[in-house]
Amino acid sequence: MAKPNPDVEMIAAPNMLQIKIGGPIGAADLHLIEKADNALNDMRSDFALWLEDEVEKLEKSADIVRKEGLKGKEGEDLFIRAHDLRGLGSTYDFPIITRIASSMTKMIDMPEKRDVAPIGLVLAHVNAIRAALVQNIRDSTDPVAAELAGQLEVMAAEFAAPWED
Amino acid sequence: MALEDILSQTRVLVVDDNAALRGVLRVSLQAFGCAKVIETGSVAQALEILKSQPVDLVITDWKMKPRDGIDLVSSIRSPVSSPSPGLPVIMLTAYDGTDRIRQARRAGVNAFLIKPVTASALASCLRDVLTGDHGYVETDDYVGPERRQADRSDLIGPAAQLTASH
Repeated sequence: MAKPNPDVEMIAAPNMLQIKIGGPIGAADLHLIEKADNALNDMRSDFALWLEDEVEKLEKSADIVRKEGLKGKEGEDLFIRAHDLRGLGSTYDFPIITRIASSMTKMIDMPEKRDVAPIGLVLAHVNAIRAALVQNIRDSTDPVAAELAGQLEVMAAEFAAPWED
Repeated sequence: MALEDILSQTRVLVVDDNAALRGVLRVSLQAFGCAKVIETGSVAQALEILKSQPVDLVITDWKMKPRDGIDLVSSIRSPVSSPSPGLPVIMLTAYDGTDRIRQARRAGVNAFLIKPVTASALASCLRDVLTGDHGYVETDDYVGPERRQADRSDLIGPAAQLTASH
């Protein structure tokens, strides 16, 4: 048997899918989920309106970044807005917005990245988010949206690659 | 005991600076039959609420300003200043990186709810936190889930959530 190498730390890969889907719920409690889903359905008509508010906040931050650049507080504010949308998009029935916002956050989630991130590419994400909302494109079943989101993801990932583990 | 029975006795404090997301959580928790749902948009106000009224569970967002969710958990876990340091805390976050999860566990978070929030994920998380039977540790400056396990990356996931008996 090989000796353990003290310079090497073995880390088991986390099961991110398991984190996202959560553990199973007992049959006796399934009706709770149904009740909550029904209650959320009643709120659904407000979702696009709420999302509009969030996208407006993102655009305001993007306008400032366009003038001042991504360094400092301006870039951090834009990251916070994108991060919020990443969490809210799918909740509000726009998973494509979560997807695009997620790609955007990968480019600006650290000050070191914001120092050198290409502003044009960052703002292209903002425009794509606005377009999805205006055209009511909610998920990746729309081929144009899927293509656009895919291209943004590739370019964002390419930029962020040096910071990946 | 069924989750519904437990929730009917559970008073939940929701802390998130996004009012719409607070609304989604409130509606879901009310549909689950929680005894009471209290909401606030700031950590400072959350700490005031914890001093002034009984709460059984906290669900908090991570990214807030000026004080964030980690700051809230650290304040809750301090036996010196907190009225209920053993309170179970669920951290709501869009961060799913291992380092972030370790950071939150070190602060004393019991479980994570990764955004986007769904009724199913929320119920699952509540069940794990409220029905788990894992011990807490008590030191001079910390009461909460065993933090040494924060460094065990194989424990990441709902099945390994550090849950509280309280």
